[in-house]
Parts: sequence; structure tokens; C-alpha cells
Amino acid sequence: MNPSESSVVYNTPNYLNAESGVRSWLLTRDHKRIGVMYLVLTSAAFALGGLFAMLIRIELLTPGPTIMSALTYNRMFTLHGVVMIFLFMVPAIPGIFGNFFLPLMLGAQDVAFPKLNLLSVYLYLVGAVIAVWGMIHGGADTGWTFYAPYSTTTPTKVVPILLGAFVIGFSSIVTGINFIVTTHTMRGPGLTWDRMPLFVWSIYATSVIQVLATPVLGMVLLLVAIEHAFGFGIFDPARGGDPVLFQHLFWFYSHPAVYIMVLPAMAVISEVVCAYARKNMFGYKAVAYSSLGIAFVGFFTWGHHLFTSGQSTFDAGIFGVLSMFVGIFTAIKVFNWTATLYQGAIKFTAPFAYVCGFLFFLVFGGMTGVALATVSLDVHWQDTYFVVAHFHFIMVGGTIMAFLAAIHYWWPKMFGRMYPEGWALVAACLIILGFNATFIPQFLLGNMGMPRRYYSYPAQFWPLNVASTAGATLLGFGFLLILVYLLISLRHGKVAGPNPWGSRGFEWNTPSPPSALNFPVPPVFTHGPHDYTTGAESPPSAPGEPEHA
Amino acid sequence: MPELTARAAPPLAHHFVTMRQQTEAARLGMWLFLVSEVLLFTGLFTAYSVYRFLYAGVFEEASRHGVELWAGTTNTFVLITSSLTVALAFHFARLGRGRLAAALLVVSLLLGFVFLGIKAVEYTNHFHEGQLPGKYYTFAEVQGPGASMFFTLYFIMTGLHGAHVVVGMTVLAVMAVRAWREEFGPEHYAPIEIAGLYWHLVDLIWIFLYPLLYLI
Amino acid sequence: MAHENAAELEEHHGAGRYLAVWAALCVLTVGTFLASRLSLGPPWHLLVALLIAGAKASLVALFFMHLWDQPGVNRLVFLTSLVFVALLIGLVLLDNATRFPLANPPNERTLRFQAPGGAEPHVRPGERQQGEPGAIGRPASER
Repeated sequence: MNPSESSVVYNTPNYLNAESGVRSWLLTRDHKRIGVMYLVLTSAAFALGGLFAMLIRIELLTPGPTIMSALTYNRMFTLHGVVMIFLFMVPAIPGIFGNFFLPLMLGAQDVAFPKLNLLSVYLYLVGAVIAVWGMIHGGADTGWTFYAPYSTTTPTKVVPILLGAFVIGFSSIVTGINFIVTTHTMRGPGLTWDRMPLFVWSIYATSVIQVLATPVLGMVLLLVAIEHAFGFGIFDPARGGDPVLFQHLFWFYSHPAVYIMVLPAMAVISEVVCAYARKNMFGYKAVAYSSLGIAFVGFFTWGHHLFTSGQSTFDAGIFGVLSMFVGIFTAIKVFNWTATLYQGAIKFTAPFAYVCGFLFFLVFGGMTGVALATVSLDVHWQDTYFVVAHFHFIMVGGTIMAFLAAIHYWWPKMFGRMYPEGWALVAACLIILGFNATFIPQFLLGNMGMPRRYYSYPAQFWPLNVASTAGATLLGFGFLLILVYLLISLRHGKVAGPNPWGSRGFEWNTPSPPSALNFPVPPVFTHGPHDYTTGAESPPSAPGEPEHA
Repeated sequence: MPELTARAAPPLAHHFVTMRQQTEAARLGMWLFLVSEVLLFTGLFTAYSVYRFLYAGVFEEASRHGVELWAGTTNTFVLITSSLTVALAFHFARLGRGRLAAALLVVSLLLGFVFLGIKAVEYTNHFHEGQLPGKYYTFAEVQGPGASMFFTLYFIMTGLHGAHVVVGMTVLAVMAVRAWREEFGPEHYAPIEIAGLYWHLVDLIWIFLYPLLYLI
Repeated sequence: MAHENAAELEEHHGAGRYLAVWAALCVLTVGTFLASRLSLGPPWHLLVALLIAGAKASLVALFFMHLWDQPGVNRLVFLTSLVFVALLIGLVLLDNATRFPLANPPNERTLRFQAPGGAEPHVRPGERQQGEPGAIGRPASER
């Protein structure tokens, strides 16, 4: 039976319309609705962060002041960083797709603690409101890294931003706890660890980092807020404090945090690669265990952010060596994904275009990361646009590409409608081209010595900055296009049916959109996910039937 | 033999298959939360380690002259005993002896109040002596680099710990009421168990705070 | 399922076990108090105190928190957290311990070095004092 001809029915009632009214949403315990709420909230945050980014790029169109003062510019890059990292990059993929699909992939009716899950949304919202309140009143100018002693003495409104991030941290911890417990205790019958979707493995690894690292960030931000408000002097040398201690505590979270941002992206890629190559993952165990490897080894490397801070050369040496190891696990994944694509039956769709972008940009971004982790090179590149380009390659070129792949791959499942493939490919082109135009010049600028976080620059950097801003504009149009056609598709998109891609991921064994109750009959698992070797029969499409042949 | 009173069926949530699964999930969830609490305090212990390393002599003087040994030592015994009563409360709740469990939890609460009371006395003394954090430090007997830092760390660490004591006591109070109402038994005991875990963590942290602040 | 077997592994023991652990904790508390009264040299008094605290913590974790008779995942979770505690404290302390000494905040080891003749560093009038608390970041006009 041709997968695209199987029951192309828009499932009603489903989780979206089973209950109506604002109250049913505000008090929902349904992980699918919570996923959608995260989608709305994080998308709004992304738009806000993107607005700050555009303002930054416009300011950098000319040397000297263009549209704002230096103080305003400092606020712009601070808020861009805070909003993008804490309100989007950290919560988005786990909050949206982790929440929506983890229980479906495990054969569970919900996550382990549905009420805590709802709490995590409210913690996110409260933290975001506190931070936005601070932004409205001027916002901080310290950079998202809040280095002491400036953050403890700045006259700007840094305390609400710190407290907002503190509260959002708890949202992150609660989500992490929920996912770990769900994975350990709620796997369906027959679903052993080595049959779990790779998406689950990576989200699990992300959750481990969230639980271990986020509290340290919470503590250090609290200490900065206390010192700013009360002058306790924990980081003030005149009172015996050590400003570098702040950096240690901050980066102990913030380096693993970048793995919180990239592991969920890798989780998505593992799913999308198999689905659009119609092939079992090459080296399932390697990919699964490398997620855990990244999670653990990522904790041993934070000092590479402190190479030029006054940290001892002994520690710098240790951190430099340890930083080299974490690249190994990413390399393992990239080789396995590529091997999976090799001789696969490739279906070139928008999600696949984003996978291509992801692989290219992750490799280049990752390699520049390894280069930066070399102390002698970092001395030249620290605090230049080279660093900025490196992390944007991973975060935008990596995570955002994966996010876009996820939203397109899973849009039919979540909302029962197809997005328009033609427009999606156009948007993918805009995004990938715009991305290149934005950030490749920044590598060159950084290597030439242009420092970051400066609102003006010498004339020799002018042309590349103009190129970068042009690229950013293209990138912005790409995102706007995606937003428009996705919203339109909610009403006017082609009805998707349970499995428009013919994917053999477990989550596709449900109607589209899924019903409020995930599994009237809990599924039984007899093999791993994305098993495309068992004959040419169409993938199972009926929910609840234990027919994973 | 305890009388087998008719108890309502244990509340199994819709997304769990068995009570055992639900209990295991609650336990693992609480352990993960405790891990996050441990890492929260670790930030402070890190600051403590660094500053004690840098200002070893001054910290020793500050501890000798500034904190009251009797208070810290008594509080250690208070918390250890409260851990005992909480552990016993869980033990008996699980056997279905709710009233005894509730009584033990009330004893734990009283011990918690004793702890907070002693800390209040200590804090008042520090206030009078000028042994305060950061720019408010005016204790003439111990001066020099790191002197105010000891008390900054003291107040933040014991303050955060005290906040956790208050939260723990609130949770124990709720459990005491539920135990009194005979809600717990051999099938349904997860809430009181995980409340106990939280309280034991509070004790665990104090076990390290005591020698680091009082016995330098 | 793993969790089905878990309950069978939990032994049923009497309340006496808790009392025994409590007694041991009290003894160890007295022990650590007495050990602090001995004048052990600098690294030892801290090590002894931490060892005793570790023993007490182990008793609480194993028996009051039931890690002794519960299946592996909870133990793994707790032990893993200790690894990261050690990691953070260890590497940060190592930094301060191996830095060029003057890169640390001024402390008793570095303040021993006085300029010959005890001369104070020269600061021009109106210039921000280096040692002034909170000096960095405040405008010069506001002191």
C-alpha cells in the first residue's frame, strides 16, 4: 500500500480540539498541548531576539554610530544573547519536540510528571516576564555573560534580567527531571534501551546536563544579583573576592549549556536522516552512546573560556587538552549520519535541505571550535568576531537548522496539515544563503582583529560588515517566509494523514494530529525504530495496534 | 496488631500502569531534584574552598572569634535527630501506622523550630558584633583580607540552608496532616518517602557546613 | 520490567536500624568535634573533618535515604552528582593554587611583599584608588 494513499484523514477529535476554552489550555496536563505552548512562547522569544539581532546589524552597517549610542548597543547585544540563549536555544527543541514526542516514542500516555510539566511552562513564562520587565526599563549592558566586576557595579537594570534567567533555569531543571524519569520508568513493553529512538537518547543526555549544570548557573546569577543589590563583595577584590571565580562558576554551566543547545538538534537530525534516507541508522549504538559522551565530557572543558582571564596556565593546559576530546563524539555522529545517507533512498524535501545545511555548518563550526580551544590561537581570537562567528555557526547553522528540520518534519504530525513544499524549499535557500552571507564575513573580520561588543569599528572592517548585514537581512526574510506559510498551512494546508513521509519512527504510529489519549491500547515493541530493512510493506498506520512486525 | 482500617484505593495516576511504577518514578524524580540541590550548594562550596585556600589564617580566626561553637554543635545534633524521626515516620507510615508517623513528624517539626531558633540567636549576635557580609562588616577583632568574606559566605550558605529548612518543614507539615488522615500504607507511601528524602538532604548539607564553618 | 522487581529487593527491617545509625551519627559528631580540638596541622585537620563528614553523609544517604536497599539507578544518580561536585571544586581550586600568586586577590601570602622602605604606591590626587571597594565600573565623579 502506498504510504501517501493510506488513510489521509484529518483526525478529529484530537488533542487540539478535544477540549476547548482558554482554561483547558492554561490548566492542561497534556504533554502535546504543552509542546504547542512552548512552540508559541519560544517562537515569540526568537522573534524578539531576532529583532535585537537586526538592530545590532543595522548599527554595524557603518563605522561610528549609525542608529544608536554605545550604551544602547551594549544593551542590544546583551539582550540578544539573553533572549536567544535562555528564552529560545535552551528551552525550544526539548520543550516543543521533546515534550510532544518523548511519550509518543516511548509508548507512554504522558511524561512522568504532567503537573510539573505544566509548571515548567509557567516558570518559563514568569522568568521571561521578569526579564522583559527589566528590558523595558533599559535592560543590562553587561553582555549575556554578566562578568564581574562590571555586572556587580553597572548602573543598568541587571538584577531583573538575572532573576528572570534564574527562574527560567528552574523550568529547565524541571523539564530535565521529567524527561529522565519518563525514559527510565515509562518505556512501553519490549522497549529496551537499545531499541529506543535516537531522539530519546539525545534528549535524555540533554536532560542530564540540564539537571547537573543549571543549578550552578542559578547560584552564580543569584550571587551577582546579591552583590549588585547589597554590596556583599563575593567577586570584588577589594573585599577579598576573585572575579575569575565568577567566570569559573558561570562557564561551568554555560559550556555544558551549549551542549544543551546542540544535543537536541542532533536528536532531531538522527530522526530526520533516517526518515529521508529510508535507511536504518548506521552505527545506532555509536550514535546513542556518543550523546552521553558529549554530555559528560562537555563538563570537563569550561576553562577554555577563561584562557585569557588570568586563570593559571596549569588549568589552561588541562582544559585545552580535555576540550579536544569532546569533538570526537560529534565526529562520530557526523560520520554515522553521513554513512546512513550513503546509498539511501533520498527524498529531497525542506527538512532534508536543512539536514544538509546542518552537517556542513556543524562541521565547520565545530572545527573552528577546536581551533579556538587551542590556547595559543585563542590568545589571538578571544573576544573577536571569530568567536562570534564560531558559535553562530553552531547555534544558527547547527541548532536552528535542526529546529527548522524538526518543525517541517513534524508539522504534519503535530497539526495534521502539510506545509507547502515549494515555498519551504525557497525559504531553505534563503536561510542557508543568508546564513553564509551573515557569518562567513565574521570569521574573516575576527581573524583580522575586529573585536566583539563594540558599536563602532575602524574603516577597514566596513565592507565585510555590510556584507554581514545584507546576509542577516536575507536570513530574516527566510524566517518570516517560514512563519507566514506555516501559519497559512494550519488552515489551508493539505491534510497530512497519519504518515505522509512513510517514516518508521515510532511516533508516526498515531493519527495526525494525535488524539488526546495517546494509546487506547498501549503498543508493544518488537524492534528498533526506523527499521527499513523489514520488507517493503507500508509502515503501520493504525494507532494502538501491536503490529511492529 | 494494627487494625486494618478501610483505606481508599491508592491514587494511581492515569499515565502510570502500576503503583510500583508510580512510586519508582516519584523516587527517581526526587533523587534528580536532590542532585540539582547538591549542585546548587556546590557553587557556594566552591567559593568557600577558594576563599578558605586564599585566606586560611583569617578564616580560622574568624571562625574562632565569630561563630558560636555550642550553637553549631547543638544544631548538628538537632538535625541528626530530626532525620531519625523523619526516617522513623516513613517507616511507620509504610506499615500503616499513620498516627504514630504523624506524631514523629510533629517531633521533627519541633526540632526544625529549635534549629531555626538557635540560628536566629546566632544571627542576632552576629548583627550586634558587626560580623556581617561585605560592606557591612565592622567586626574589629578580625580584620584583614578575607575577614568579611568569611561572614559573607557564612550568611549566604547558612541562609540558603535555612530557606531549605523552612521549605522542608512546610512539606513535612503537609505530610504530617496526610499521615494523620491514614492516607499512607504498604501500597501508597511515595509522598512521605520523597518528603523524607528532601529533609535528609537538608541534614546532609548541614553535616558539611558544620565542620567547614564551626570547626576550622 | 525493572521496577516490578524493585520492591522485592527492598528488605523489610525493623526500626532498630535507624536508631543504630542515629547513634553512630552522634558518635561521629562528637568525634569530629574532638578532632577539631586537637592541634593537627593545616592539611590534616581539614582532611579529618571532611572524612568524618563524608562518613556521616554516607550513613544518612545509605540508611536514612535507603540507598542501601534500593535498586541501582538512584545510587548511580547520587554518585554521579558527587563526581561533578569534585570536578567543579577541584579544578577551580587548582586554578587558584597554581596561578601566578599576584593574579590571586591580595591575601596573606602575597601581602607579605612590601616595597622596600614600606613606601605606599603613589596615587595622584583625584585618581580612583585601586583598592576602593566597587571602584571599577563607578564613574570617577562618584566616589
